[in-house]
Amino acid sequence: MTAATLPLGTTNGGKLRPLPWRRMAWIGWRHHRAALAGAAAFLGVLAAGLWLAGLHLHHAYAVAAACHPSSSAPCQNLIAAFQSTNVILKGGFVLQVVPALVGAFVGAPLLAREIETGTFRYAWTQGFGRGRWTLATLVLLGAAVAVMAGAFSVLASWYYQPYLAAGGTQFSSPSPLSPGLFDLRGVACAAWTLAAFAIGAFAGMLVRRIVPAIVATLAAYTGLALVAGNVLRQHYLAPKVARGSNLPDSAWITSEWWTKGGKRAFLGRPPVHLLQQLCPTSFVSGPGGRIGMRGTFSPTACLVRHGYTQWSDYQPAAHFWTFQWIEGGWLLALCLLLVAATVWLVRRRVA
Amino acid sequence: MTWVTWRHHRGALAGVVLFLGLIALWLWRVGLQLHQAYGAAIDCHPASSTACSALLLTFETTGGILKGGFVLQPLPALIGAFIGATVLARELETGTFRYAWTQGFGRWRWALAKLALLGVAVTVVAGLFSALVSWYYGPYLTPGRLSSANSPLHHWLFDLRGVAFAAWTLAAFTMGALAGMLIGRIVPAIVATLATYTALAVTVGDFLRANYQPSRNFWSVQLIEGGGLLALSAVLIALTVVLVRRAT
Repeated sequence: MTAATLPLGTTNGGKLRPLPWRRMAWIGWRHHRAALAGAAAFLGVLAAGLWLAGLHLHHAYAVAAACHPSSSAPCQNLIAAFQSTNVILKGGFVLQVVPALVGAFVGAPLLAREIETGTFRYAWTQGFGRGRWTLATLVLLGAAVAVMAGAFSVLASWYYQPYLAAGGTQFSSPSPLSPGLFDLRGVACAAWTLAAFAIGAFAGMLVRRIVPAIVATLAAYTGLALVAGNVLRQHYLAPKVARGSNLPDSAWITSEWWTKGGKRAFLGRPPVHLLQQLCPTSFVSGPGGRIGMRGTFSPTACLVRHGYTQWSDYQPAAHFWTFQWIEGGWLLALCLLLVAATVWLVRRRVA
Repeated sequence: MTWVTWRHHRGALAGVVLFLGLIALWLWRVGLQLHQAYGAAIDCHPASSTACSALLLTFETTGGILKGGFVLQPLPALIGAFIGATVLARELETGTFRYAWTQGFGRWRWALAKLALLGVAVTVVAGLFSALVSWYYGPYLTPGRLSSANSPLHHWLFDLRGVAFAAWTLAAFTMGALAGMLIGRIVPAIVATLATYTALAVTVGDFLRANYQPSRNFWSVQLIEGGGLLALSAVLIALTVVLVRRAT
């Protein structure tokens, strides 16, 4: 590691001099160029693969969308071919690991390496001040990582554009708010990568050993991402309520329930015993005493006949950018908090 | 050497068991739901009615992200990278090899014993886990009304079943060990292992295995793939041990 010292210099009326960002950028680059180059190479290779796959996908979509009439057999075949192109990438879940990996592998070794190898005894006793040093490194590397992730998310948005284009029900377009796609687009990808980086730096200071810090970062990130996607995100704005199956295209359904006479009856799908009670003639005894339903039976029609109403909570696709800014905002706040906590730990630790 | 290996790597081994254990609990819980939904959908008659279609839909939407089998694919790579790469890279990076390799025991015997013991441990744990995975995906692969013999799932789930999962984990472990010895620094060795494993898995999955029909002679392809990976692992361990022996 190259040694670079930044002397405190002459006093500036008793106040600390402002952070020399250019010099710290050079030092940050020298110390962490392997990590940054590695992250850039990883994202670059992934981007190349995604671009090639995306060309294939866009072509399949163009061919399928241009085919008329869309209910004919050859056009249905083209639509099926489009739906089965690049199935691994389809839901977007596979690419969810990218922010986690980039943030964890750049952020966690940052401080954990210093402590594990003992080089903090040199790096943190320069005249510059260890708190300012840490802050400058975290801010600069965090910005670099976020910018790289942001560029990647632009490519990811381009890739998923055929699925999100208003293709109607035959293309079964997912909602832009669906968990697999939401944090690969807009500002969310950069924000999540930055969050992984900040969690990594903080975990590095707490755990103080490199590989356990990486593992802890990945675990913490996974937990946070699951909570945010499944629990928090649907409450950013009050969901709209729809009656029956009257939902706009590309809406993100967050819950469904049935009511009768103004009172809530049950959530989700109708329980079989209720259907047996209400519409007993629609059930027949099968072999071995098992009960089966008649061919023409529709559970929805049975329930509606008996005065039940179906309701859905949903978030319309138009809420996408609001949600992006809300999620980006609280992730940024979390990052600032973690960076502050990391700097505080660095300053406090005597070891 | 068993005791020494355990003392050195108990953290890593405990971590792997904990990690796979948590995933196994999740698979168990979702798997019970899946098997129940499958049972209900299979028993429903007549099969083409709206109501039976509803039960079929319940079956098809259970499992969420586990459905395609993609979520579990990175597991051998992660285990191999985090356990294998750290074995030798840590010694080299921290300089403790100067102590560990100058014992009376002989450095190559030390390295061979460690790699063999850890390799066996990791393979056994992975094998147990893949038995649970096979149970989980049973409903999708049992020949019957709800699954087809030509389903692409046979292809995607192939290396999570039989002996393939354990063989891939062992291969990843030995790749990690060699990468650790060659690169000599922990984090780059982990990254290199993950990259190499991904390249190998994609090559085997997309090009080599496509020439077979997994649903028809499942076990013969499994044994071929398992045997190939075992041979690769043996070669990589031998290479690593030779490098340890020759290192100055």
